[in-house]
Amino acid sequence: MVVKKLIEKIEGEARLDFKLEEGKVEDVRISFGFYRGIEEILKGKAPRDALVITPRVCGICNHAHLIAAVRALEDGYANAGYEIHLSDKAVKIREFTLACELIQNHIKWFYLVILPQLEKLLGESNGENHALKASYLSSTITKALAIFGGQWPHSSYAVPGGVTCDPTYVDVMQAETFVDEAVRFFEQMVSGMPFESYLSLDKLSDLHEIGGDFGRVLHLMGMHGMADTGYSHDRFITFGECLFFKSGKSMATTVSNIDVRYVEESRQEGTMAKAVSYKQKFYETGPLARGMVAKVPLIKSLHKRYKDSLLTRVFARVHEVALLLEESRSVLKSLRLDEPSCTFDGQNRVTAFEGVGIAEAARGSLIHRTTVKEGVIENYEIIVPTQWNLSQGNENERGIAVEAMVGAHSPEEAAFIFRTFDICSVCTTQ
Amino acid sequence: MKRISTAKPKLLWIQSITCNGNSHSFLNHPDLFSVLSHVELLYHPILETEYGIADMLSGELPCDILILEGSFREQGLLKEGVEVLDIAMQYADKASYIITAGTCATFGGIFKQYDPEHISGFCFDGERRTMRYEAYASKLVSLPGCPIHPKWLSYVLLMAAKGREIPLDGLHRPQELYNITVHTGCVRNEYFEWKVDTKGFGLKEGCLFYEQGCQGPYTRGSCNKILWNDVSSKTNVGTPCFGCTEPNFPKTALFATKTNMGIPANMPLGVPRRAYLTATGIAKSFRIKRFEERIIDYGR
Repeated sequence: MVVKKLIEKIEGEARLDFKLEEGKVEDVRISFGFYRGIEEILKGKAPRDALVITPRVCGICNHAHLIAAVRALEDGYANAGYEIHLSDKAVKIREFTLACELIQNHIKWFYLVILPQLEKLLGESNGENHALKASYLSSTITKALAIFGGQWPHSSYAVPGGVTCDPTYVDVMQAETFVDEAVRFFEQMVSGMPFESYLSLDKLSDLHEIGGDFGRVLHLMGMHGMADTGYSHDRFITFGECLFFKSGKSMATTVSNIDVRYVEESRQEGTMAKAVSYKQKFYETGPLARGMVAKVPLIKSLHKRYKDSLLTRVFARVHEVALLLEESRSVLKSLRLDEPSCTFDGQNRVTAFEGVGIAEAARGSLIHRTTVKEGVIENYEIIVPTQWNLSQGNENERGIAVEAMVGAHSPEEAAFIFRTFDICSVCTTQ
Repeated sequence: MKRISTAKPKLLWIQSITCNGNSHSFLNHPDLFSVLSHVELLYHPILETEYGIADMLSGELPCDILILEGSFREQGLLKEGVEVLDIAMQYADKASYIITAGTCATFGGIFKQYDPEHISGFCFDGERRTMRYEAYASKLVSLPGCPIHPKWLSYVLLMAAKGREIPLDGLHRPQELYNITVHTGCVRNEYFEWKVDTKGFGLKEGCLFYEQGCQGPYTRGSCNKILWNDVSSKTNVGTPCFGCTEPNFPKTALFATKTNMGIPANMPLGVPRRAYLTATGIAKSFRIKRFEERIIDYGR
């Protein structure tokens, strides 16, 4: 029996066609709607126009696109012989603003998607306005971003050589206050415990100490067997090496090096989304992958017991909020404003180059590749995280999310598993 | 415009070809739920609402205020087999207000460039009126911006909900938001006045109009009056204005000023070339020491 389901209230919409066998999900086809043609739109434009155009791929992870785009340009200039060295200050400001975007994303996903959908699935509503919390935290942390980036969504403040802003300590103090407010929110609403205590949790047996909305979700998931569902290939990949994350792939208990040259993109039948694999194999990307590759203690111990289950995946994304908040604090604290914001005047005469830019977006590794000839963009390729997680599969194995959904006891349960990957249909159909 | 008779106007938010940026920008409104308390939000693509997408696509829901996000394809953009343009028009017929939220829904925006012949805004294609214009002109409010500013939208929503008249310009943009330029309130105005350009990106000092491509002086919008995320703006952080509220957004070579014989090709809004040249000629003939120096010395 085939059951078709339109998944809404994600970023855009997706179609899932479930093949059911005795009530259990045996296979799923994932499809996304129309193609918007951003890669085509970029052709013939000035190389730096990508800093304005590519954020418009996505309303929720636009900043990650900006960072990937600027890194692609810097990599391209370096390949053409113009090495650019960013100041410590520029590196830190970029990492900070990207972290803010990840935080708003994860919190919105938690309060706008996971909490209401879980309540719906289990019939356990507590009648609270979750969206109010999502909006509060999102507007608070994007203020911190906008202090440096000018605005969110759709900032273009990162340019080859650094950032356009030249902040004062007035700005830094304001940003620190917004981060403090976000920490307070995490304490009071999300985890129900002091931030320092939350950060010191490091074993499975500590998890019951978590209260707040996160504690409630963990409890509900645990009660309903979600620590034993949603398993996928247990294979993880992260490309965006930076202050906060490490790059590499994680399989079984080993983490090893990777090379972006082995990333392969291919067309799939019946959907506008392309599949992405690494050496012909599918890997999960996103917060769980980042936690596994960087060997975050709490993620490792959760994974040791529950593998890449639904519970582990949901936990990793919320946990990342705490880690990012902590890192953000230390980055702001160590910011030195006497360093230059931008070390490159943008006036080089390189008219032909190829560059790759990688950023860790909310949903995982984002890759931009720009090819410039005669001073204009000849070709532009964007590989988004959702493509990694939602590839259909090949003749040898199923894609990550499909594998996770197979075996679910109902299309509704499978749809919930699907949502734990934090789906962005908008990015996928750029 | 027709007054809304019901106590709380019923609001539908429909997406066409979009990045969701306007939805997310609006979610950042610091008083989101106070604003929404004046309307009945029947359908929104992200927020939990009484009705889902299938109900919306049935065309059966009531609608007093219609918000459109994204550019429109004349044919072939389907959601569950339903033409998005058709469903938007069905609700537009019922609505008392149609708000095109963002440059895409208003003029066609960025996504128009993929297929300029067939993709446009709802009532405008660039500055040109589409064939839908006549039917909907009496209830149309244009809110261009890529994305919209959350407070621009809340202003229009509240004016509509409270039955107040919104003064509009020829392209149906609220005059109170778009009759000033992005240059108004820019923190670099002194440098513009004395024609001192910036020495590069990443500096507080200098104007971005002469070299860096800033379109602020001829772009309509209140970005530097009603700040972004309540704290900042592009030019505030040294990023040029890219003219994202304009019918022809996005142009090309956005980080460089187009010039003719060293003079910016585009004049500040409404300023005759001769007036500009005279004023800048005088300003340029003086060297003001303060504008040559750094504002703050961190010992570098």
